[in-house]
Amino acid sequence: MAKSKKNPLRWVRLDNAAKIYPAAMRKNWSNIYRQSMTLYEEIDTVVLKSALEVTVKRFPSIAARLRRGAFWFYLQQVEAAPEIQEEKSHPLCYMSEKEMSKYAFRVIAYRNRIAVEFFHSLTDGTGALIFLKNLVAEYLEQKHNISIPFEQGIIDRRVPPKSEELEDSFLKYAGRVPASRRDTNAWRVPGEKEPEGFIHVTCFKADVDSAIALAHKYGCTLTVFFSAVMMQALMNYQKELNPNTAKHKPIKLLIPINLRTLFKSETLRNFAMFTVPEIDARLGEYSFEEICKAVYHKMGYELTQKHMSAVIAKNVNDEKNILLRLVPLPLKNIVMKAVFDRSGERKSCLSMSNLGVVRLPEIMQKYVSRVDFILGVQATAPYNCGFLSYNGKVYINLTRNIRDAGLERHFFEILRDMGLEVTVESNRN
Amino acid sequence: MYCVKCGVKLEDTEKICPLCETEVYHPIVKQEQVPPNYPPDKRPPAKKKTKIINGVVLFLIFIPLLTSLISDLQPDGAINWFGYVAGALTLAYIAFGLPMWFKRPNPAIFVPCFFAATVAYLKYIDFVTDGDWFLSFAFPAAMYFCLIISTLATLLFYLKRGKLYIWGGFVIALGFFFPLIELLLSLTFDLRFIGWSAYPFVVFGLLGGVLIYLAANRFARDAVQRRLFF
Repeated sequence: MAKSKKNPLRWVRLDNAAKIYPAAMRKNWSNIYRQSMTLYEEIDTVVLKSALEVTVKRFPSIAARLRRGAFWFYLQQVEAAPEIQEEKSHPLCYMSEKEMSKYAFRVIAYRNRIAVEFFHSLTDGTGALIFLKNLVAEYLEQKHNISIPFEQGIIDRRVPPKSEELEDSFLKYAGRVPASRRDTNAWRVPGEKEPEGFIHVTCFKADVDSAIALAHKYGCTLTVFFSAVMMQALMNYQKELNPNTAKHKPIKLLIPINLRTLFKSETLRNFAMFTVPEIDARLGEYSFEEICKAVYHKMGYELTQKHMSAVIAKNVNDEKNILLRLVPLPLKNIVMKAVFDRSGERKSCLSMSNLGVVRLPEIMQKYVSRVDFILGVQATAPYNCGFLSYNGKVYINLTRNIRDAGLERHFFEILRDMGLEVTVESNRN
Repeated sequence: MYCVKCGVKLEDTEKICPLCETEVYHPIVKQEQVPPNYPPDKRPPAKKKTKIINGVVLFLIFIPLLTSLISDLQPDGAINWFGYVAGALTLAYIAFGLPMWFKRPNPAIFVPCFFAATVAYLKYIDFVTDGDWFLSFAFPAAMYFCLIISTLATLLFYLKRGKLYIWGGFVIALGFFFPLIELLLSLTFDLRFIGWSAYPFVVFGLLGGVLIYLAANRFARDAVQRRLFF
């Protein structure tokens, strides 16, 4: 991350994964997601603003704004913290490029909840969670005059960022042989769009121990289990809408993978890749066990350093292409958007992103009642799903921008039939 | 609280089930007043596109109606044939336009409605032409047709299985329509009963019988499917 002489604010090139998101932006859609922590007490916005001032200085690559260069977009550290915003009737309201040119993230306070919405070019879910943890830790320290130890992602906010946190790990871990990107298109959940960009959020809460016990019954992890449930729900929903299975399209999920677990990286920027497990209902009815196996083995095959560095290599090679680099930004945006529309989103029904177990220092746990992870919907497909577990509960947040909750109904029915008790809440009132 | 329709357990923040849109209700347990997760949705109620399209269709029907009326009135200032056009357009609208106002139009209601309008139209033609054939011919014929078509549409709408049985029964019932027509024609218009209706009656009866046989016999059905699939 460089500091120019005239302007002391740091600026940084977009990392390899982040480059596509500004190009793919369109009217009423940008790739944003939300992470939030709910406390046991009402939020004091004055203290929160003060805590944010401290936090933004510690995370210059996340607390940033999006700017246009002649050939590429770039991120620039913000001078001061943004104003704390009020909650709307739905999360993840459209973030325009104009808004991002001031702040590419928002901090929202509502009753007991502190939420941060990030443009995906800033960081991935893991980096965002560290930002949120530190913001809430700073808030609690200032509000209650307590001291929170530097553990479980809480870091010293008074020291400058380490260079490892700001590196583009994709460039570092790209392999020599690029992987192929050829893939088939997936089924699109149909439905009538909500006007004015309204997003429905349906949260399924379940006991994490019961969910793990159920996952172990099928010999898989929680990510595999819930992904399999989602695939089964998609398959059932497709069958409900079109009983003729011969005309069914493949059911595919995009499961993001945190590459920090495979490679030694401390970056707070994007460092995630994905795997896309698939079932094809035209081949016949899949049992739940078969779906679990399909997801489990696909993940097992692809979640290796070798395979992932090959996938990274393909993306990095594209980025390094001299012809592409020399194309001016407006033209580059058109090409990248076309590529995103043709080969990006069409290849999966929805993203199923598991942030994993959120752990906080013991002293913070007394103040934080729950944590949520909400993905914005895709540009052209209506659904997305983010989940995590915290304090013995798993929170699965399904977002959609269409009216009918058919997929949610099928998802619930499968969990119910398996005997997993879930509680549902939404943003409808 | 649990949803009374889909059975999902809901948080106390929920007033409407997010899965099936049923209002949260329990006759005994009173729901706790908990503040909502998000501020209320203040969007204006959504404009129904289908309503706009249906409104436009309805408006467009008035254009041929008006031009017909003007053309009919122009030569002698009297209405001669406009009634036929108006009746035909009304029938077409009842058949195709009216069900579009509903999300899931029920044929058990709309098919009889269409036949009621048809009977009224026939009565009008009978009245204008001094035909004297309405009660003895048009009414019973239309009523029989209404009965079999309504039954077919209702069974196909409500029953998920047994489609071959339903179609078989319908084709046989359609076969009976021809002797009825011949009988009504001979009674109303003094035509000689020569028995031509026996031919379609037999053909339709056989066709219906074959369909019912195929419905009952899986092996025969498979054999036919094997030869005729496309």
